Amino acid sequence: MNTDDLISRLSQDVPPVSRRAVGWRLGIGMALGGLVSVALVALVLGIRPDLGLAMRGTAFWIKWSYTFSLAVAAVVMVVQLARPDSARLRWAWLLVVPVSLLAILGVAELARTPPGEWLAMWLGHSWMICPWLVLALAMPIFVGLLWSFRRLAPTRLRAAGAAAGLAAGAFAATVYCMHCPEVSAIFVLTWYSLGILLAASLGALLGPRLLRW
Amino acid sequence: MRADEDVLRGLMLDGLGGDAAAHAVLLRMLVPVLRGFYRRRANGGDDDIEDLVQETLIAVHSRRATYDRERAFTAWLFAIARYKMVDHFRRVRRLHPIEGLEDVLLAEDFEPATLARIDVEELLGALPAKQASMIRATRLDGLSVAEAAEAGGIGESDVKVSVHRGLKALMARIQGGAR
Repeated sequence: MNTDDLISRLSQDVPPVSRRAVGWRLGIGMALGGLVSVALVALVLGIRPDLGLAMRGTAFWIKWSYTFSLAVAAVVMVVQLARPDSARLRWAWLLVVPVSLLAILGVAELARTPPGEWLAMWLGHSWMICPWLVLALAMPIFVGLLWSFRRLAPTRLRAAGAAAGLAAGAFAATVYCMHCPEVSAIFVLTWYSLGILLAASLGALLGPRLLRW
Repeated sequence: MRADEDVLRGLMLDGLGGDAAAHAVLLRMLVPVLRGFYRRRANGGDDDIEDLVQETLIAVHSRRATYDRERAFTAWLFAIARYKMVDHFRRVRRLHPIEGLEDVLLAEDFEPATLARIDVEELLGALPAKQASMIRATRLDGLSVAEAAEAGGIGESDVKVSVHRGLKALMARIQGGAR
């Protein structure tokens, strides 16, 4: 096709574009994926029976704040990497904040606990499955983000994939809080973060293949 | 009309507002700019160059929502053009880059280069518009003097003089700033 014809054809379809189009597209993808993850927790894993009670304690909110703030920091990366001119990433340091705060809480918690109980506190009851469940719950959200990216223009595909995986993992961990009864900060810091990292690594691995346009 | 940042950006903004005519003018103005960009960088036949130009036009059209209205249009455009070139090269393996593919690939993620570019943009901002846009066209976007003259709608000697005076002013500025 000659270039003039192409331009005439393209110019027939010029709908107005909202300033927030990128944000909406990403938000819808994550929300749809998130709904699937919530449904999986509610229907397959089961919501912890004492959720109402737990929500009155601090442990639940520490966990939730950690995963949610990590998710927000990851979304800040995703939004930047969704545009082609994303050579210089800003606000990447935000990712360090939740991890550092939780690490401080973890150290304080260890100091309060006799060393004999450290191992039990660290491993909890579910260390072997926790990272895998977080990774599994991240998949619907990751797929939602892949759908979002189909209309966006990432040029650093590996970084974009990693950021999408990170966001999906952190949101999945936030959803997983509704099921998981573990309370210790070092448990969350280790096993939740491991699940989130697995999701980010998978994203980095798949990004160059799945995000091409 | 000159294909400089302000004009292109204005057309892009109108297009994003739903003005199909402005969008058509924008795409038409991008054709010589993109041809120049790819001819300088890819040693392919005219068909390859035209394929790349068309692919990039389609991308500019279908991904226009990813343009951030607060940022430079040409930076967005050339980021897409560069991505399309690397992608095309990977797929077709027929284009042989002149300047070395590794430059293209590395420059993508290379933060210092980007920072330097941002510094350059700041410096260029202090120059008269014509000098800045001619330096940008010939030294950053890789257009030849003839192409820059055509895109800018001015004579070739005017381009050379503008670039020369602009660079001289920049040198004076940098040396003055260092002292």
